[in-house]
Amino acid sequence: MLTQLLNWIDSRTGYRGLLRHALDEPLPKGTGWAFTTGSVLTLLIGVQFATGVGLTMYYVPAPALAYDSVRFIMDELPLGWLLRGLHFWGASFIVIAAGVHLMRVFLMGSYKAPREVNWITGVVLFLLILAFSLSGYLLPWDQKAYWATIVTINVSASAPVVGEYMANILRGGSELGALTLGRWYSAHVFLLPAVLVIFIVAHIALMRKHGISGPMTPQPGPPTAFFPWHVMKDTVMMAAVFALLVTLAVLFPAHLDEIANPADAGYIPRPEWYFLSLFQLLKYFPGPLEPVATLVIPGLIVGALFALPFLDRGAERHPWRGSRRVVTLAMLALIGGIGHLTVLGLLDMPARYDPNDWGPQSIAGRQLATGPDNTCQTCHVVGGPAAPLAITRITKDEEWLLFHMGDPVAIAPGARPEDQPAGRPRLFRLQAQAVVSYLRRARAGADDVEVSPEDLTAALTFSNMCIACHTIAGEGGDTGPNLSLVGIRRDAASLRSVISDPSSEYPDTLMPAYGERMTEEQMSAMVNYLAKRR
Amino acid sequence: MTTPSDTVDPSGRRGFFVRIIQTVHAAIGGTVAFVLGGAILAPSFAKREPSWLSAGRLDLLREDEPLAVTLRVSRQDGYAQVVDRKVVYLVRSGQDVRALESTCTHLGCRTSYDREGKRIVCPCHGGVFGLDGRVLSGPPPAPLTALETRIDGDQILVQV
Repeated sequence: MLTQLLNWIDSRTGYRGLLRHALDEPLPKGTGWAFTTGSVLTLLIGVQFATGVGLTMYYVPAPALAYDSVRFIMDELPLGWLLRGLHFWGASFIVIAAGVHLMRVFLMGSYKAPREVNWITGVVLFLLILAFSLSGYLLPWDQKAYWATIVTINVSASAPVVGEYMANILRGGSELGALTLGRWYSAHVFLLPAVLVIFIVAHIALMRKHGISGPMTPQPGPPTAFFPWHVMKDTVMMAAVFALLVTLAVLFPAHLDEIANPADAGYIPRPEWYFLSLFQLLKYFPGPLEPVATLVIPGLIVGALFALPFLDRGAERHPWRGSRRVVTLAMLALIGGIGHLTVLGLLDMPARYDPNDWGPQSIAGRQLATGPDNTCQTCHVVGGPAAPLAITRITKDEEWLLFHMGDPVAIAPGARPEDQPAGRPRLFRLQAQAVVSYLRRARAGADDVEVSPEDLTAALTFSNMCIACHTIAGEGGDTGPNLSLVGIRRDAASLRSVISDPSSEYPDTLMPAYGERMTEEQMSAMVNYLAKRR
Repeated sequence: MTTPSDTVDPSGRRGFFVRIIQTVHAAIGGTVAFVLGGAILAPSFAKREPSWLSAGRLDLLREDEPLAVTLRVSRQDGYAQVVDRKVVYLVRSGQDVRALESTCTHLGCRTSYDREGKRIVCPCHGGVFGLDGRVLSGPPPAPLTALETRIDGDQILVQV
């Protein structure tokens, strides 16, 4: 019955002939494990397509919503964290696999005549993969995504003459924002996959047209069939790489920073590791020389890759014989340089403050928003006029929140008629700022922390009296020194003496004496808390 | 990369390889399908946690006189938080309170209370319900949906 049905389908489509053509490809004798790199790459691209389709069902390409939708995928969607984990790690795997594939073709001289166009489509595919990485990086709209993209676009803006136009096209305007996200999303999800598929089809068709290049020195003997002899090797490599991918995605779930905050100039952006070498290169070409690092050097490398089959035209395929030594040395120098710069870039990673380190401002904000007698619960209760804070996803920007907390009745700026005066502010500016800080941390999914009553007193005091001038855990002013790690420099007694009377140590300081302004309870909580920050 | 069974010789090394290839590819495909399918299908079968909402004070209800109240039901809509408005009738009989959804079970129109006839009527196709929710006449296939209620002090709580 099934055979009859298949016979009928075959008679109408000829699928068996196609299948046989695909599977019975004759491979030169001695085609070994080195020729499995392309299959691994194809598998990884397939996984990216599948997981990408899943992510697209939940992802929303609009600022703020983008972040919340990714947060939803990570925290609430069953298996969503693994779906994103596979897509996230898959991106790195593809860059590595593409690099390995390219090196295999290079070392075995497989790009030589008549396969020049195979090589050129391969280089295009490599560039497309990098474009995927770049465009996908922005989509989660967290701090890392936002600031890394700022850097990427500034790099393109450094190009002479056309730079600013290019940057404006990439951004969809003069500022990075909703229009940027829209076009990068469209490119990542529609444009690039379409172009990628076209080039993969061309790449594989050309591979079939000229046949596999086979071992560097042809071996006598009849060719072997692709299926199942070589497919077996492909399958073993694919299984190994896929198992590693799943393991990494399970053990190290993809990260999501806090939501992109364009006002946070303190954030030090870092690109993903495969762009780190370019990023590092920028440091050696400051000012007017910058285009050397952003355009000239990468342009020469890509140009050399495209030109390679026309520069190295001899019949010799062995990487270390005759004139091939020159190109092999050049390639090794390039890889060594990229590796060296990447390591330097990794060593130069800035110390990032831990998102789970609740600074005093967030602790104070949590107390104000959720502690006993908080003003939020006037409305934000079960069955009340507004949803309880615990289940409220913050979808408003910080300016809105600050406004709302100063004047909760006016739930939109301008909503209150002008002849109706606003009531007494429910929260003062610094308090509202603290609540915003808490909400941002809660939105980023930070683990809740236990805080002792003394530390709570210190947090409330700090966010009321000190934060305008001092920063802890990335939040606060910069008129005075950063106190994130002040405990290394001073003990409790010396902290007390400086806070009580700063001019005793710094005659020119602007800081007022807080000995009189703080209660003894506040002072002792404050100095004990600061002494612990080390 | 599968092959129709009729082109495969199931004996010997070749057949063994073919089976391993098929198994591994099925395992890889199955893993991706599990993660992707799970993430796609899971929300379709997610159950909403019921919650109790205060619907009003017991002493404001008159015997057998339905009162339509609007409940604001907050729920998670994917990544967003939305508030649905749900109109329910509260019908008191003694110390007991029934809560009926106001949506007609025929095609989902909003019903209203007919004070004179002491019945609940649907404006769309003439469905008529009694104060206990039962269908008195017209096309509705089922009684108005009853919601769980409980009395806490003087408050009427409705489960939504």
